[in-house]
Amino acid sequence: MFDSMLNKYNIVSESLNVECAMSFREKIHWVAFVGLLAGFGWYFLSYPWETANTRMGMMTSVWMLFPATIIFLVPMIAGSAYFAIRTPKEANLREDEREKLIHLKGTHAAYYPLVLGVWANIFAMINGLIYGWSVNILMATLVLAELVRVGAQLYYYRRGY
Amino acid sequence: MARLPFDNDIKTLRFLSDEMTQGDLGDKVGVTRQTIAAIEQGKYSPSLEVAFRIARVFGKPLEEVFRWAGD
Repeated sequence: MFDSMLNKYNIVSESLNVECAMSFREKIHWVAFVGLLAGFGWYFLSYPWETANTRMGMMTSVWMLFPATIIFLVPMIAGSAYFAIRTPKEANLREDEREKLIHLKGTHAAYYPLVLGVWANIFAMINGLIYGWSVNILMATLVLAELVRVGAQLYYYRRGY
Repeated sequence: MARLPFDNDIKTLRFLSDEMTQGDLGDKVGVTRQTIAAIEQGKYSPSLEVAFRIARVFGKPLEEVFRWAGD
């Protein structure tokens, strides 16, 4: 009798399929990941690299940051609002211990590209690559570190911790 | 991924508690339903505090909810 009860329960569990459902934070991380790729993918592909080592190249970087930020932020805001409206209860939940652990692991993983990027920038400056190169190497470092952070967190969310 | 060296009976205990959902248990314990799912499947090792809170929800001692299964 107990077995049949458990079997029935398994059917209930499968129909709910709650194990596979993404949490609010995981969905937001996906939006951030895609937003980062879109916004800064456009930036690095569109940047006029032949002017990078001039003052104008540096100013171009600064001005191109505005549309890149908009491309990144608009889906982030829209996605957060959409998922918050769809699952308001989850949106208001505080991070629990597993999510805090995932958060810390992601941040830890992002430290390595950040250090590498700073060293790359120092190396580039010593070799005369300044202005736009400096800005772009630092920006690429930040974007890469963010992609590693968010990507690692997405991996840990799927793995369970 | 290496499995945790302990099993748990959370799924059975949920069933015996009026078919409590993972979300209901998560609300009572103070974690998300995804965390309860990860604990149930042996993917995540909860803190001692959360383990005790889960056991308290079912009115059982800790060792009736979690059992050591490693060497």
